[in-house]
Amino acid sequence: MSELRPGVDAMRPARAGATRTADSRPPDGFPGASRYRGYLGFGFGGFFLVTVSLLVLRAVWALGNGEAAWDRVQQSFQNPIYVLFHALAFLWLTWFTLRLFRLFPKTQPKRIGPLERPPDALLVAGLSGVFVVVTLVVAAILWGAF
Amino acid sequence: MRRVLLVLEPIIWGLFSAGMMVGGLLLPAWALVMGVAGPLGFAPTATSYDHFHAVASHPLGRLVLLAAIALPLWGGAHHLRHLWLDFGGLRSDGLVGTLCYLVAGIGSGLAIVAVARL
Repeated sequence: MSELRPGVDAMRPARAGATRTADSRPPDGFPGASRYRGYLGFGFGGFFLVTVSLLVLRAVWALGNGEAAWDRVQQSFQNPIYVLFHALAFLWLTWFTLRLFRLFPKTQPKRIGPLERPPDALLVAGLSGVFVVVTLVVAAILWGAF
Repeated sequence: MRRVLLVLEPIIWGLFSAGMMVGGLLLPAWALVMGVAGPLGFAPTATSYDHFHAVASHPLGRLVLLAAIALPLWGGAHHLRHLWLDFGGLRSDGLVGTLCYLVAGIGSGLAIVAVARL
């Protein structure tokens, strides 16, 4: 009876061979398919993070050089290309942040410490609310409202 | 170089996630007020030297500005590196990754100097 039972190593090759792995390749339809638009747009948000940070650095650097240097930077920001770029950056980064917060619940475990994880919709709404409040407060400070 | 980047991955990942969060929360307001409303004349106080210097030279202002410059640079650099990888740039990942993080590193160093000079 025992002779009829299959051995667990019955399919093992006689000699150990190198592990064969398939070449990496992009998923079907990448990058043209519409289902990748959000993913690629989110990745391209990195461009706006870098460029806007460098423009903040330029302004702060000029601030340290005195009023004349600051005014020169502010005048350059009046160029329509800069204005259009900043408007696009505002829209892109707003979408980028809200998408980041929409993805956030997927990264969380079922329990956070001793507590049950809040519903996904509550997490997203809370984080989006924080984004709106922080944006309004920072904008008000920059605007000179305080 | 890829090996070095792999060893540094946990640190880079920490800076990347902090950069996405800080950049996402702070930079839209900057772009809107300092890049659009100020230059178009809707927020004249925002572009005044005295006002911005008062905000930026406060200890808390310096800290927030440093975070708003340095961390998003790391977040953006990591994003762009991975976008490059997605488009098949595995062979040049060592070079591109190093360039991305070099920009972030130099920018972070300059940001520290910039806020210290205020």
